[in-house]
Amino acid sequence: MSNYETYLLAGVAVPFVSFFILMLFGPRIGKPLSGWLAVAAMATCCVLGTLTLVGWLGEVDSGTAAELTAAAGESQFHWADIGSVPIKVGVNLDSLTVIMFFMVTFIATWIFVFSIGYMAGHSDEVDGKSKYHRFFCYLSLFGFSMLGLVISSNLLFLFIFWELVGLCSYLLIGFYFDKKFASNAAMKAFITNRVGDFGFIFGLMMVYFFLGTLDLDGAAAAFADQYASGTGLFDPSFTINVLGWHVSGPMMATLMGIGLFCGAMGKSAQFPLQVWLPDAMAGPTPVSALIHAATMVAAGVYLVARVYRLLTPDAQLFIAGVGCITLTAMALIAIVQTDIKKCLAYSTLSQLGYMIFGLGMGAWIAALFHLMTHAFFKAMMFLGSGQVIEGCHHEQDMRKMGGLIRKMPVTGVTFLIGVLAIAGFGIPSMNLGLGGYFSKDEILAVAWDRAGIGGEGHHSDQDGHHAAASGATAFDLVSDSHEAHNGDDRVAGHALATDDADHAGVLKLMFWCALITAYVTPFYMMRCWWLTFMGKPRDQQVHDHAHESPMMYVPLVVLAIFTVVSSYALFRPLIADAAPALTDAVLVTAYDGHADDANHAKGALINLHGAHDWLFWGVGWSWAIMFLVAIVIYRNGVGLGSKLKSAFSPIATLLEKKYYFDEIYDFMFVRGCRLLASISAFWDTYVVDGIIASLTSKATERFSAFAGRGVDANIVDGVFNGMAVTAFDLSNLFRSPHTGRIRNYVLFTAGAAAVAILLLLFFDPVPDAQAILTSAGG
Amino acid sequence: MLTIGLMHYLVLSAAIFCCGIFVMITKRNAIGILIGVELVLNSVNVNFIAFDRYSQQPGFDGQITALFVIVLAAAEAAVAVAICMNLYKNINTIDVDRGDALHG
Repeated sequence: MSNYETYLLAGVAVPFVSFFILMLFGPRIGKPLSGWLAVAAMATCCVLGTLTLVGWLGEVDSGTAAELTAAAGESQFHWADIGSVPIKVGVNLDSLTVIMFFMVTFIATWIFVFSIGYMAGHSDEVDGKSKYHRFFCYLSLFGFSMLGLVISSNLLFLFIFWELVGLCSYLLIGFYFDKKFASNAAMKAFITNRVGDFGFIFGLMMVYFFLGTLDLDGAAAAFADQYASGTGLFDPSFTINVLGWHVSGPMMATLMGIGLFCGAMGKSAQFPLQVWLPDAMAGPTPVSALIHAATMVAAGVYLVARVYRLLTPDAQLFIAGVGCITLTAMALIAIVQTDIKKCLAYSTLSQLGYMIFGLGMGAWIAALFHLMTHAFFKAMMFLGSGQVIEGCHHEQDMRKMGGLIRKMPVTGVTFLIGVLAIAGFGIPSMNLGLGGYFSKDEILAVAWDRAGIGGEGHHSDQDGHHAAASGATAFDLVSDSHEAHNGDDRVAGHALATDDADHAGVLKLMFWCALITAYVTPFYMMRCWWLTFMGKPRDQQVHDHAHESPMMYVPLVVLAIFTVVSSYALFRPLIADAAPALTDAVLVTAYDGHADDANHAKGALINLHGAHDWLFWGVGWSWAIMFLVAIVIYRNGVGLGSKLKSAFSPIATLLEKKYYFDEIYDFMFVRGCRLLASISAFWDTYVVDGIIASLTSKATERFSAFAGRGVDANIVDGVFNGMAVTAFDLSNLFRSPHTGRIRNYVLFTAGAAAVAILLLLFFDPVPDAQAILTSAGG
Repeated sequence: MLTIGLMHYLVLSAAIFCCGIFVMITKRNAIGILIGVELVLNSVNVNFIAFDRYSQQPGFDGQITALFVIVLAAAEAAVAVAICMNLYKNINTIDVDRGDALHG
């Protein structure tokens, strides 16, 4: 076992210990200290994560990382057997795990610190008992579960930790469970996730059944093997009868991929399971930042990335479609939000949609890179919103804010950095920009290429060696990978691989949706920032009370610095390093999965914006254009915005009602459930109870009548009553002489004396008595 | 000529005793019962004196005992009359049949 595995395992164990201590002794540890205990535990993890990351970078440079990954795969612990399938526990030691581990621990540590400041200003009592320790207890459990999820090498364990993070999410959304909306939101999140997890379990069962293992690498290898040899799922004669439908092997493989993706749809809140995430903002703001923006919701993306090698082209297309719908629809809702946290929540949904869309389109590296950059700036913005809400005395309505930049300079500036990062701020052709500029635009670039908008000429004039040439652009690389993919000798792949030409229309539509959303994102983010921090204060009372506290803005500054210096130099190459494994998968359309290029491996900055003028200008400057539009509309507060809103009132209402999803679900599922419940109640009351009443209860009644009246009354009672009556009669008998009358007593005494004398005379117990009487007579 | 012997005294004493018992059993008046008790005591006195007179070594033992019984009877009568008065005080009568609070 290498050092890295030890570090990672220890990193998973530490938050669990903290959780355990806080669960048992939390109330005794008390208010500030239990929070600091959780922070210390998470900081320890962060140190371990950093050590691993630094060491791992060295391994990647010296080229020994792959050996370590293989060694970690070998040294798995044989935990149990399910049937004949061994279940092995181990650390999935690769670049993606290392980078995710670092990201989770780093963000979590600073959010824990923020939480101490946040909880200091919040009531934490229910029924006079403090819940303070419980908050950090749950947070520690979340840290444990999330890190466990990240390092799991086995789908079964991944699923276990997956459910654990779901539980933590439920507990933390419902932290203020004495408030009805919070407990409802918690239930909604939990139940919606169950719907997705149902599909996930289905996918797991299919992996187990068809591939014969739940090990991530093992399953991928089995899948590739079956494909190469035309056995199992890819046996031409394979067919399964599902409710009268004959499902062929490749279709089954697609269903398996979609099943696994269903889990991601729940956890990453993808259409149509997106309804829970905005409501989850009922939880404390640090929870929103950590779980519902940075880490847990990214777990769905992480899952898809991990099972990527099991996805067929059709499944990928499905995933891209779901991601595309989510990213577009949710970004539009964000425009009309007035609650600062809800606005951020919809932007999170949209960005998660980008990641899923990217994965579906084959932009594996770009999607995970976007996950990393997004985690940092979105966590920071959520913490910023927490600071704003805290500073404004729990005011969340942006219409009542404004001008807060003077009262909260640190929060305002860090929030602006987040806005710039998510909007894709950067200077095209200068390699200068924040996270989103590189990651989101790379997703778009891949989608652009996949949709074939660049034209056939672009493809055809590339040759296989062009990419190796110095100065190759990302677009070239991307297209080149495509060429390489099509041109290589994996001919078998073409039999099943989706022919992009068949879906050209869909792919084009999805690209345009994503591109338009790239314009929507800067608009609503700038709107959010401007309404909150700039302009004139619209509510003097809120403005007067606004303040910020160091405990809360220090994490903001740290995360902001990380957002700025991040990310490109550190994250992109490491993720690219994790990608080569993907090339083993024969079915995968991983456009940027070919990391053999020196630029990827060495982590050199890649200029995404070097080619294709219209896209380069169109995407590159989208942030600037839409920032301007947002500022023009909202520079004087909400006035012009609400005029526009009433001008487009049907659309605005549709967006404000979130496309009526809550209403539809309420009608279909909540009402449906209730209808089903009342039918069941009717059935139960009249049919089942009728039978029970007429048969069972009557029989019981008869029997109890017999037992009661016959056995109990006669035999049991008879014995006891008989004893009592006998005792009573006997005592009456002995009582009767005691009349209380003197003459009776005298009579008895005299009678007794007379009897005694008669006895003396006739039976002569005293020998001399006769003689005495005789002599007396003499 | 009839010679008066011990047996005559004993018969007399037994007759008086039986009369006393009879009075005690039949009378409901407490004073009547007291009189019955006196008869019983006196029958005993007759016995004492008779046995003393007709014993092998006659003396005064029996007569002294009889005197002692008379004294006791006087004391007993005093107590009994006091009881009667208390009985009357409590139940407004000296009918002993009414004083049966100790019945079983």
